[in-house]
Amino acid sequence: MRGKSVSLDSVSMRFGDFTAVQPTTLTIQAGEFFSILGPSGCGKTTLLRMISGFMTPTGGTIRIGDADVTALGPNRRPTALIFQNLALFPLMPVWENVAFGLEVRGVSKRQRREKAEELLALVALDGQGDKLPTALSGGQRQRVAIARALAVEPAVLLLDEPLSALDLKLRQHMRTELKEIQRKTGVTFLYITHDQGEALTMSDRVAVMRSGIVEQVGRGDDIYDNPATSFVASFVGESNRLSGTVEAISGGQASIATRFGTLQARCGAGLTAGEKAIVFIRPERTRLQDTPDGSGFALRGTFLRRDLEGPFVNLFFDCQGLPVTVHVTNDSRHASDSAAERWLCIAPEDALALPAGALARDE
Amino acid sequence: MSSTASSSSSASRVVLSVYMALFFGYLFLPLILMVAAGFNSYSPPSVTQWQGFSLRWFSELAADERILQGIVNSVIVATGVIAVSLPLGLSGALLLSRLDARTGSLLYGVLVSPVLTPGIILGISTLIFWRQVDVGGGLGLTVMAQSTFIAAYCMLMFMARLQRQDTSLEEAALDLGATHLQVFRRITLPFLRPAMLSAAVIAFLQSIENYNTTVFSIGASHTLVTEIGSRMRFGLTPVVNIIGLLFVVTTVVVAVLYVLLRQRERARTPAG
Repeated sequence: MRGKSVSLDSVSMRFGDFTAVQPTTLTIQAGEFFSILGPSGCGKTTLLRMISGFMTPTGGTIRIGDADVTALGPNRRPTALIFQNLALFPLMPVWENVAFGLEVRGVSKRQRREKAEELLALVALDGQGDKLPTALSGGQRQRVAIARALAVEPAVLLLDEPLSALDLKLRQHMRTELKEIQRKTGVTFLYITHDQGEALTMSDRVAVMRSGIVEQVGRGDDIYDNPATSFVASFVGESNRLSGTVEAISGGQASIATRFGTLQARCGAGLTAGEKAIVFIRPERTRLQDTPDGSGFALRGTFLRRDLEGPFVNLFFDCQGLPVTVHVTNDSRHASDSAAERWLCIAPEDALALPAGALARDE
Repeated sequence: MSSTASSSSSASRVVLSVYMALFFGYLFLPLILMVAAGFNSYSPPSVTQWQGFSLRWFSELAADERILQGIVNSVIVATGVIAVSLPLGLSGALLLSRLDARTGSLLYGVLVSPVLTPGIILGISTLIFWRQVDVGGGLGLTVMAQSTFIAAYCMLMFMARLQRQDTSLEEAALDLGATHLQVFRRITLPFLRPAMLSAAVIAFLQSIENYNTTVFSIGASHTLVTEIGSRMRFGLTPVVNIIGLLFVVTTVVVAVLYVLLRQRERARTPAG
């Protein structure tokens, strides 16, 4: 099996007056694990349905490999879709489900059975072929859906939040398995999710979408460390936010005047002097100190509450009305966590200033 | 307090029991009397003028050519009605489930209207319509006359089933490369199988018992029901009671079989 690239050229979708997907230009490389991440209603499922062929875009062209597939129906595209509810055929045993795509292509029953067993082995479901899908567990049904989609040897596998119905442990396990199957088969994976954990752990690249617009495309680290917009910064991961006004910009650094004083931060895209800005600081990059060390910006915080997450601890502080969260690794040495007053220090390289822009209007 | 509550609940239980006794008496007493009269050697059918237990009417039925031919004709018509109504009803249901709401509800009204039209009118209008193209009364015309409204019943049953179908199953099949015909044959049709069985049973029963539409379209031929109807004028013999007895027995047997079949079907398709 070999993956193919997917190229969207100004693809858009309108329903009457409502534009679900703004003109979008995007190229997914052959053999890439690509995720589209966004809140519900952002247009990611519409985008997926256009690529799978269930919807015809109202503008633009879609290419898979070198072929223009914009006008082709779903049964004539080299794609296979894994539905959110899996859509396994309830009246067929597992092996017939897996071999369905071969059956409609006229492959003989003996060959279908062979191929089905081979794929079931790939997804670790050997010997389960004669059961009905309802007799399997959630994770097993998940794998049947993957095997069924792989049976037609698609160049592109489209996944529509396929893990959302599973419990946490199984979901984490399936992430590893999906990634492994993608690596083994070399098929291009296009994965739709609203779960940033899924997107960041599995993907080679991630696109973050909002209101029908792709706001940023990049590797997981880029998205997390250098969000292009204030929406991406707030949607992906958690942040402490400080609002202020840009005083000056020089050498990639911005000075932001806040009500706590002036703070140095990395200058994000589209920032201009005199403009309103939001400074984003990740909770795990906010350092706790008993006395300010003078190396950066420091806020004096009053301890409010401690939440145990397991591997790390969330500490909540109040800094004169501004809520600030700090992640501390759970190394069992946090006896002093709950000291009433602490200094929260922020190094300039850990703070990112972005135009308040759309985010300020939303909130 | 508790004693009044229990006495009032026992009183309501008495009322309920009396009501149930009356209700079932009303339903089953006529049937019991009908069966009893079938074993009375007196004719016309009676239970008050008892002339002794007899199996004579069974042998008279076995020798009654017109009645036997009527039963055969009824079964032929019912089979024809199933053959016509199931495809028609299925097409209507599939069309309606895919139309937009406004066109759909208009067409729905048109397609369901025969159910609400008096059977006599369906019978007469079928006769008049087909006379234009020189098709006269008979078994074939009766199949068409009955199908005008029985197909609508079948359509309603298919629609009820289709509303419960998960559309992503058909999409998944298309996505895997199936043509629309293959999707229909492998996904939609198997899903509709239980509804087909129910629709066939309903169509059969509706056809067998139909009188007021059939009497106009049957022409010189006859079905069991029209034959019994015409004999009303000359006085019935307890042969009719024996037919009634056989119908009751057949109905009970078929109903039990049907329930058993449905249970097996359900066990096979827990998700359906």
